[in-house]
Amino acid sequence: MTYCKRVLSILAFSLGLILLLSGASLLFLPKNNQSEFGMEEVRANGILGEREDTIDVMVVGDSEAYSSISPMQLWRETGYTAYVAATSGQTLDYSFLMVQRAFQAQKPKLVILETNAVYREIPKSKVDISMLGKYFSVFLYHDRWKDLAWTDLTEQADYTWTDDYKGYRHSVEIQPSKDTNYMHETQEIAPIPKVNLSYVEAIRDLCQENGAQLLLLRTPSTLNWSYAKYNGILDLAEELGCPQMDMNLMNDQLQIDWNRDTRDAGDHLNAYGAAKVTRYLAGYLQETGLFQDHRSDLSYSPWQEALKRYEAATGF
Amino acid sequence: MLIISSYFSLAFLVIFLPITVGLYGVLPQMGRRLVLLGASYVFFWAISGKLLVYLLLATLLIHYFGLWLAEIQRRSDALVAAGEKADRRRLRRQAQTRERAVMALAFLSLMGILVTLKYAVFFTVNVNDLLQALGSTVQLTPPAFLMPIGISFYTLQATSYLFDVYRRKIPADTNLLRLALFLSFFPQIMEGPICRYEQTAGQLWQAPRLTYHNLSFGLQRLLFGVMKKLVIADRLNLFVRTVFQGYENYDGFVIAVAVVCYTIQLYMDFSGTMDLVMGTGEIFGVTLPENFRRPFFSKSISEFWQRWHITLGTWFKDYVFYPLSMAKPMKKLTSRARKVMGNHFGPLVAGSIALFCVWLGNGLWHGAGWHYIFFGMYHFALILLENLFDPFALRAAQALGISRSALPYRWMQIARTAVLVCIGELFFRANGLWAGLAMFRKIFTDFQLTTLWDHSILSLGLDKYDVLVLGVSLILLFVLALFQEEKGFRLRQALAQRPLAVRWLCYYGLILFVVIFGAYGAGYLPVDPMYASF
Repeated sequence: MTYCKRVLSILAFSLGLILLLSGASLLFLPKNNQSEFGMEEVRANGILGEREDTIDVMVVGDSEAYSSISPMQLWRETGYTAYVAATSGQTLDYSFLMVQRAFQAQKPKLVILETNAVYREIPKSKVDISMLGKYFSVFLYHDRWKDLAWTDLTEQADYTWTDDYKGYRHSVEIQPSKDTNYMHETQEIAPIPKVNLSYVEAIRDLCQENGAQLLLLRTPSTLNWSYAKYNGILDLAEELGCPQMDMNLMNDQLQIDWNRDTRDAGDHLNAYGAAKVTRYLAGYLQETGLFQDHRSDLSYSPWQEALKRYEAATGF
Repeated sequence: MLIISSYFSLAFLVIFLPITVGLYGVLPQMGRRLVLLGASYVFFWAISGKLLVYLLLATLLIHYFGLWLAEIQRRSDALVAAGEKADRRRLRRQAQTRERAVMALAFLSLMGILVTLKYAVFFTVNVNDLLQALGSTVQLTPPAFLMPIGISFYTLQATSYLFDVYRRKIPADTNLLRLALFLSFFPQIMEGPICRYEQTAGQLWQAPRLTYHNLSFGLQRLLFGVMKKLVIADRLNLFVRTVFQGYENYDGFVIAVAVVCYTIQLYMDFSGTMDLVMGTGEIFGVTLPENFRRPFFSKSISEFWQRWHITLGTWFKDYVFYPLSMAKPMKKLTSRARKVMGNHFGPLVAGSIALFCVWLGNGLWHGAGWHYIFFGMYHFALILLENLFDPFALRAAQALGISRSALPYRWMQIARTAVLVCIGELFFRANGLWAGLAMFRKIFTDFQLTTLWDHSILSLGLDKYDVLVLGVSLILLFVLALFQEEKGFRLRQALAQRPLAVRWLCYYGLILFVVIFGAYGAGYLPVDPMYASF
């Protein structure tokens, strides 16, 4: 075999492999965004079921995000649509994936990254999988082989499910925090892992490409936050050229009562704390002048209906 | 941002290795050598960072100690040749004393680094326990050393080079770069095989041209290794981890199944990594020594250790067992023991002392923990019993008219060896010696099949689908191994004779099999290659 033939055969083999993986990706892709269809992190992926170009604000991050921001309250108070695509222990590779997925059908003007995830170490193997998953979703959903049906061969993906809470997790449990004086001023800067920095940059770039602004937001938490971490985020925001907001230093405005507003001794906020954070955020978003009130728009009636169900279920 | 964390990381498989192969393929011989050396240091740096300095230090140590030994040998040879006949013995003895001193210094330098980094914490903790038991309030602070990858492997490789120079088996290498490549070659730095200088240094320095045959054969073996690791070993980890971490909650049957699963996991993990390593070596035209030869077809424990982690076993045989059993005091002991105990038991006395040292070293090499020492002593005891009673077993078989070469007898021996190996692996994996003993006891005192009948065993990490994938994969591998063992079947050579379409279908099939059935991503815990931590 000549050199050229060998090179050609390697190229042909690679092409065949790409086609095969693409085909397998189509087969293994969940055909709807519900768990029975094999979708992971269903509540966060509820954003995929939202009508095209209807989300104004997207939030990514870990449990701090889904415990602190209630999109339904935001809708009620401002008429802005937000979705919290946060997951428990979310690492930035998944935040990136969620933003990337959302931009396929949505054009949020603002993406909020809850910065607790910025300090969470990303397992090296997860970086590998999410990198491969960007190109071939079979690497993300390969474990669906246990539930594959014949219809997976013929059906197209059609995401129809939406979450009435829009990704927010409601809790009225109260467990007071004893350590309320946790933001001790210091010059110390908590280092952010290099891999994490590269992911925040990638999220920033993705936002810029899609005409969205990135906001680094830290919601209140006595257990997970410190002044050194705040300093780290301050530097990061400057480096990225994007705004940041640390609500742990804004208690004069927020009035978080750590005896009542946390469900687990300061780790996460409960519904009372979330109501305060969301109210402040609503004011901030209004001040930006970026968003329109959709409450009188009939095409947004599903949001009004979701709000009724949300209020009936939560009493908030 | 991709990071090289092991041979199974994406950064290694789709970036580092292709770039290295690409550069290797286009450069002339000297460039190819430098590519291999540079890639080896980049790989080491990517995982261990500044700890690369230990590898560089080991390289410099063996280079200069090797040259020193060679110089003493050259001078003594010249002196002996020029000296009077009556003086020659004295001169030779003087030179030997100097060589021994240099060799001892070199050995202590290399081993000193390994022992300090690997065993200092274990030593300190045990000293503290002892002090506490003696009523002392003094406690030592355990040091916090970081270990570079593969130190246990490359240190043995480094000492083997010096011993071989000392024994005049090989000449000391004057080429520092060749020696550096021999010690650091990236496919083998993490988990071995532990190579001898004459096995790989020449091949590596030869740096043969990249060929289509080497590339395709190497990639096939690499892929086969990935399959063993990701589909079988990592899938089994879910169940093994659950049971070993909470063995108190499970009955003897579940523990026994977990022990068998762990033995398979360890084998698939290590031999899978070795397939990847050998395949990577093959791409560069380097044939590394095999580390496994179907160990579960062994009919005895000693045979098992000739088939499992072969390069470690031969290292201990050549550099611990033989030197000890051939030492003058041992020879004297053997001749005395032979007079008292006869021709069978007599030589076993000195042999057993050497064997004890081998297995103490083997246990400790695997890790700083009493359960590793117990693991070593367990195998020492089994091999010693084999040595003691084998002639009696032979006579008993003859008296009973049992043919030892008959298939049922061979399979009985294979099954017995597998059971003994599994028991050893129980202690190897257990979270400490006491946990190991408690688990072993539970197998006999709390054995019940309820988890099997009510299917609750399928809720411990492996459901019926996982069991199906494992079963099919293991049966295929077993049939392949059986053909290799009995008929000398060579899969890759057989495949190479098939038409292109058949070959490609096989490759695509295997790749898809790994992609779909591999235990990675959401719901699985990433498992680093297990021997990389030893």
